[in-house]
Amino acid sequence: MQPLLKVQALSKSFNLRASLFSRKQFSVLKNISFCLEKGETLAIIGETGSGKSTLAKLLAGAGTADSGQIYLDGNIIEDNGVRDTQCRHIRMIFQDSEASLNPGLTIGDMLDDCLQYNTSLDKETRVEKIKVTLAKVGLLNDHQHYYPHMFSGGQLQRVALARALILDPKVVVLDEALSSLDPSVRAQTVNLLLKLQQETGLSYILITHHLSLVRHISDQLVVLEHGEIVEYGRTEDVFQAPKSRVTQKLFNC
Amino acid sequence: MQLLDIRNLTIELRTSDTVIRAVDRVSLSLKEGEVHALVGESGSGKSLIAKAIVGVLNERWHITADRMHWRGVDLMRLSSQQRRKIVGQDIAMIYQDPSRCLDPTAKIFDQIAETLPAVHSSGFFLKRNRERKDRVKALIHKVGIKDHEKVLTSYPHELSEGVCQKVMIAMAIARTPKLLIADEPTTALESTTRAQVFRLLKSLNQLKNMSILMISHELEEIVDWSHGIHVLYCGQMVEAGPTQRIFSHPRHPYTQALLKSLPDYEHGLAHKEPFYALKGTIPTLQHLPIGCRLGPRCPQAQKACVVTPPSTKQHGHSYACHFPLIKAMK
Repeated sequence: MQPLLKVQALSKSFNLRASLFSRKQFSVLKNISFCLEKGETLAIIGETGSGKSTLAKLLAGAGTADSGQIYLDGNIIEDNGVRDTQCRHIRMIFQDSEASLNPGLTIGDMLDDCLQYNTSLDKETRVEKIKVTLAKVGLLNDHQHYYPHMFSGGQLQRVALARALILDPKVVVLDEALSSLDPSVRAQTVNLLLKLQQETGLSYILITHHLSLVRHISDQLVVLEHGEIVEYGRTEDVFQAPKSRVTQKLFNC
Repeated sequence: MQLLDIRNLTIELRTSDTVIRAVDRVSLSLKEGEVHALVGESGSGKSLIAKAIVGVLNERWHITADRMHWRGVDLMRLSSQQRRKIVGQDIAMIYQDPSRCLDPTAKIFDQIAETLPAVHSSGFFLKRNRERKDRVKALIHKVGIKDHEKVLTSYPHELSEGVCQKVMIAMAIARTPKLLIADEPTTALESTTRAQVFRLLKSLNQLKNMSILMISHELEEIVDWSHGIHVLYCGQMVEAGPTQRIFSHPRHPYTQALLKSLPDYEHGLAHKEPFYALKGTIPTLQHLPIGCRLGPRCPQAQKACVVTPPSTKQHGHSYACHFPLIKAMK
């Protein structure tokens, strides 16, 4: 069977200035490959600077890779740095939802923009779609007239989720989206994510430091170190018997 | 000996039309050499309490307390100079937002050197300078920064959040204070450095007999090495007591919800099964419910909950609830 998302030999490097005229190549990701099935969650863990966030950006289309391919449902969406312009199948939620929302737009306008730029729906369908999406993440229809500063932290996370979900994506990338939340709000958000996964078969890519959360909600686990995959497997297997030194170090503290 | 003893601390914000009570009659006491944790959601007034102890809240906040004793001296009755002298000598605080709390116009070396206690060394100024440099270097190695040359000569904006946080910790422990107030000291750090910082604080607690008041919203970080936990909800102390007792016998529904939202402590939770979570969100300070502030979200709420519950104390474990949970957690 064809996996939903297939990443093959993805590499990325940045140019750094070494001295006045020479430049140095600094490779952030080396030869990353993994698969993600529909309705499953893949967790990526690793220390800071191991390339987790870069990988998330590449998957969501916020950056381009130097080489390697990304397949979605069998279709190639990124091939050696050339990205298919559609950004609606893989969406991303950022760490700081307050900072990633435009303070000058109401929630309704913001969601409408997403639809206007990415779909060819007419006005009535768009309004209906916004209504349905807000209900899906547990907000009221009236909330679309609110500005971001009128929401609490947990509600903003729901708004960010609504923005990701409004284009009916197949994969949602959560880059540290849960770590800055309070415990009870985090529990609510996780419940919401799990409910959506069960109902619609959404897949998640979860990037976090929170190991017990990883163990609870993820199916597969990727451990990164210096841009390389040092361990990849089913979450339960990796937690039972971590093979590499990095993984053991991460689990021990 | 009682190091810090606070009884009925109330912090109010006076606006033009109303008085907002951000912290409502919180009591807290700390013995020498103990580690206590203050847990609660953001906006529950944890940082306010810490700032009230150190005395850095500005004029708009109105602080009243029946008693706020620091080793037998009432801090509320002292003049600001006297208070500053005591607090500066014995209490240190790690602030929440490290990159914003450091001085952006001074290099890290100067900022750390400023906090060093004055030592009367009989030497020429060159020798004294060298000694000072060595002491700063030793401090910064202690908190786990390796390339001291680069860090000491840079400004705060050139460093990452994690390094700033470590610098902040170095500044706080420079005087080896009697009480260290750590306001979310490890939020910007990844798990390995976090463990390192906790090891450092733990060793300071054991070797130098330093008391620590930890403020955090991650329960699992502090459970292993804190002696007592105080749980706050919306400015009210809902439960306080020895750590092990709170974890095994939570009496307040909010504490129970907090514990149940941790995958580690909720055994028997199947893979991908939803967590136990209270409905609704934490109310804003302008719209606080009367009586028990958890009331509208509480699964056990009854008519009596519109009256603020008194604090009940049993074997050093106090809780404020009309209908406490009797059953022990599995």
